[in-house]
Amino acid sequence: MEENTAKKKKKKLSERSAAYLLIAPSLLLILVIAIWPVLQSFYFSLFDLRLSDPTKSEVHTSYQIDLKRYLDNYPFLQGSIDKELRNTQGETAQQLNSIKEQLNQLDSSLREDEEIQERYESINEKLINIEPVLDKESLIEIERDRAKEIQETIQSIYQNVKQLEGLEDPDAVKGLTSALTDVVIKPNFIGLDHYVKNFMDKRMWMAIWNTVVFTVVSVAIELVLGLLIALLINKAFFGRGLVRASILIPWAIPTVVAAMMWKFLYDGQNGIVAKLFEEIGLVDSMASLLTTDIGAMFSVIFADVWKTTPYMALLLLAGLQTIPKSLYEAAAIDGANKWKQFFTITLPLLKLSILVALLFRTLDAFRVFDLIFVLTGGGPANSTETISLLAYKVLFAQTNFGEGSALSVVVFICVAIISMLYISLLGRDLLEDKK
Amino acid sequence: MQKKAGPWFYVGLFVFVFVVMFPFLWVLISSFKPVSELFGDKAFIPYTSDPTFDNYMSVFVNHPFMTYLKNSFIVSGATTIYTVFIAAFAAYAIARLHFRGKTVILGLVLSVSMFPQVATISPIYIILKNLGLTNSYIGLIIPYTTITLPLSIWILVTFFRKIPHDLEEAAKIDGASLMQTYWRVIFPLAIPGIFTTAILVFIAAWNEFLFALVLNTEEAYKTVPVGIAMFQGQFTIPWGEISAATVVVTVPLVIMVLFFQKRIVSGLTSGAVKE
Repeated sequence: MEENTAKKKKKKLSERSAAYLLIAPSLLLILVIAIWPVLQSFYFSLFDLRLSDPTKSEVHTSYQIDLKRYLDNYPFLQGSIDKELRNTQGETAQQLNSIKEQLNQLDSSLREDEEIQERYESINEKLINIEPVLDKESLIEIERDRAKEIQETIQSIYQNVKQLEGLEDPDAVKGLTSALTDVVIKPNFIGLDHYVKNFMDKRMWMAIWNTVVFTVVSVAIELVLGLLIALLINKAFFGRGLVRASILIPWAIPTVVAAMMWKFLYDGQNGIVAKLFEEIGLVDSMASLLTTDIGAMFSVIFADVWKTTPYMALLLLAGLQTIPKSLYEAAAIDGANKWKQFFTITLPLLKLSILVALLFRTLDAFRVFDLIFVLTGGGPANSTETISLLAYKVLFAQTNFGEGSALSVVVFICVAIISMLYISLLGRDLLEDKK
Repeated sequence: MQKKAGPWFYVGLFVFVFVVMFPFLWVLISSFKPVSELFGDKAFIPYTSDPTFDNYMSVFVNHPFMTYLKNSFIVSGATTIYTVFIAAFAAYAIARLHFRGKTVILGLVLSVSMFPQVATISPIYIILKNLGLTNSYIGLIIPYTTITLPLSIWILVTFFRKIPHDLEEAAKIDGASLMQTYWRVIFPLAIPGIFTTAILVFIAAWNEFLFALVLNTEEAYKTVPVGIAMFQGQFTIPWGEISAATVVVTVPLVIMVLFFQKRIVSGLTSGAVKE
């Protein structure tokens, strides 16, 4: 007996470890490719990170000195000062000499540090041989006070250089000195500043507002229309397969392609849908569809409704088909009319399907990007710019990674709030381990 | 509700299907129109007296459209094969084996499927750039996991749960190991479900836009959605070419949908419906 339970236990244990082993690759991938990047986005959002600015292109949590940058400029600056010295006399020469003295002092004070001295030489050698220098060896952490001291020295040299007159090649000297001012890298940690700035910025609120309008209006229309269509085709009729297939097509084609199609149909001069809308009096002129605030938002919502209502209808249809026919028959015998049947049988039994469909649709609508990117580009005058589009623009058009990451974290938080709301409505139904 | 459908029902149905299909039909007609009929008054005539294949020629000659198609096929195909393979193991474990933390894992998978892509893009971009993987196939296949893996696990769990337990028990009694049971018993029975999942994953990867737009910017590595989105010139929009390209992309999908509509429907609704 005892032996038996031990065996069972062992078996259970081996099953459990096998299960973990089977799940491990998926979990690992999800961690690496989804969860880590979201956390990283949050981390980036705390920094002033700009890919276009070499001193801010990476996250720096402490003061650093960029030796490669220093050695890329310092020797040449020395050289050009020497060159100028040969051609000048009088006051300028005196000034040049004192600048040179300052530079020498800076250089030797830098080299006092053993670590810096060591890397100084190896990097210098690499630069002379035109070998690549990695960021890792180039950047050295230094103390804050020391960094400030170095920065002040370089600034004072720069001020002196700016005052020089009568140089042969003033641009070279000034340019090289100016490049030196970037040698000290300050930590670009700014905490929640991006969030604070964006929360005060009208543009972000407008983007959120646009997203909410788009989501609420389009999902509401899609739900009502989808339910109607589902009820309509929940009959056995001839050609049902064909109808179902035609319904699936808008869902299956890439959103970008659908958006392109609608852009053509909405076109202010040649678009047939724009023309039709004008004829039935929906818009005052064909052109106002994509060039006015309301027209553009309407166009975007209309295209989205066209693309996803069928999908909604399909989800609801599947739900409808699980409702037993006998319920309706019984209700009919009891004398309930169609409306009563709809409200007492269909809706309550469809509740879960409706909530699941709404959850997926709301989240999809809230993170909308490609449809609007292609159809309006967020215009006119940002009237259709959604929060995802704004985040994309800040990230990749302005290469402002810190602020863009902050905006994408805002999108993430909104999505998390929405899904929590729905899941609290759905309860554990969605996740229960059903046998 | 099972009354026989009357003529009005069919009229309604016809109108509905026509509205759904109208954009395609119009684009299809436009793709055969010569440029002169795409603008002005003739733009609104639903036929052409002078059909031409120029737009189609132009799509393949003046644009590297063949390359876009090839890229999309490689990326979507590879993504599909590798995600479904990995997801099938996880789904098997979740659906069939007993272990702690199952609900948590399923919840995690569900919540990851809800992540907005834009929230992951900046670190992914920086990492791939540092690794030199932007403008490569693998650089798109890896991030596509975010979208496709949770989707596949979620759908496959539903399919695996439907397989009767008896066969598995019988295999166990016969002394088959866990992996033997999986490959010899479960896997063959799950092939229809796996195939359905593969179709959905393929479509999802084929349609993806944001990652493709950001990560593969070189012509040689652009996918179809990005390629089409970039068709427009700075001042003019070549509607004829865009229509032709749209048709080229849509027709295979239409055929696929017609062929597999039952599978697609069962896949799409498997997570949403409780039986």
